[in-house]
Amino acid sequence: MSRALLRSALELRTPITRLPPPFLLPIPIRPRANALTAAPAAARFFNQTTQIVDPPIPSSILADAGRTPTQSPTAPAPTAAPVAGISKISAALSTQIPQPPPPARTSTEPLSESVRTLLPLLAAQPGHYATAHIHGRPYLVTAGDLVRLPFKMPGVAPGDMLRLTRATAIGSRDFTLTGAPWVDERVFECRAVVLGTESEPMRVLIKKKRRQRRAKRVESKHRFTVLRISELRICDELVAA
Amino acid sequence: MGVKAVHRITTGRNGLGAFILQCKKMDFHYCDWAGSSKGMNGFIKSILPKFAAAHPQIEFTVSPRPSKHPVIIGHYINGRDKAICVRNLEPLQILKKVELLRDASGEKLKKVTKPVQSINESVRGIWSPYHGNGMRV
Repeated sequence: MSRALLRSALELRTPITRLPPPFLLPIPIRPRANALTAAPAAARFFNQTTQIVDPPIPSSILADAGRTPTQSPTAPAPTAAPVAGISKISAALSTQIPQPPPPARTSTEPLSESVRTLLPLLAAQPGHYATAHIHGRPYLVTAGDLVRLPFKMPGVAPGDMLRLTRATAIGSRDFTLTGAPWVDERVFECRAVVLGTESEPMRVLIKKKRRQRRAKRVESKHRFTVLRISELRICDELVAA
Repeated sequence: MGVKAVHRITTGRNGLGAFILQCKKMDFHYCDWAGSSKGMNGFIKSILPKFAAAHPQIEFTVSPRPSKHPVIIGHYINGRDKAICVRNLEPLQILKKVELLRDASGEKLKKVTKPVQSINESVRGIWSPYHGNGMRV
């Protein structure tokens, strides 16, 4: 009897003596440095499935038309604050991708004349695609596509909805809106659902030197986050307003 | 010669519309006596109630399996299952394995080289050399 009591005490002590991983701690450690979600959120429990819903953009932003025709449609707002995730990416991959400008999320600049005239035509055509960027890599997606990211995205659970706000191009059959480098976030809405984490068969690499009997077996198995593009919409009603 | 209907079969695309978790059931097997089940017994006592309460869409069963190593088996909607032996693991290590089973799709692991899979028609169509204005060489 005493042995059973001792053992149960030992078992129950295990999670207490060792600090759980930071995502299990009930205190918010840092805002989520995730470039593709709309709003940064605190660290989440494994059982927390609340969705992050971004506030709607007031249509009065786009109502005024004090624009110049030569202006790029995706010119970033000079007052916009840089996102931590984006600056981190640029630091890591500065040799490959151009330095991204501060995000145009809170941009209040009016769209250019060509965008205002041609975006309704683009939206009127039936099929749409977008070249969405996630951590610096482009994915040409349409609604309903399955995207297997080449990494495991931290801090997401199956069923979470992400909004992809970075795109270098959106288009239909005859029209393409290319950004410089990013398409304005107000003209499209691309959302993805996290389906889960997939894996690959174990990779085995045998490392062997000549005239030596030792052979080293190196194993690796990567994990990938899988997304489903649930929505890709061109917001032409903002232009019409 | 009559008119032939186009035969089409719908394919499920999870997440387009509704999202359904692929893991439908998890079995936890433990042993009261063996030392390799020590962490598993602690997990069942301390962590599993919270995890099960957080996932009402998964059916959880806990059953003894005397004189065997502890095992977690996940059952999936596609009919397959995944079993993970968790002998000598700590409760938090077991939690990682449980989350792995929850996040898995139940499919067999396979190597995928193209990141985007699509069954939609190409938006911009297929390029043809016989259409358009052509290019002067």
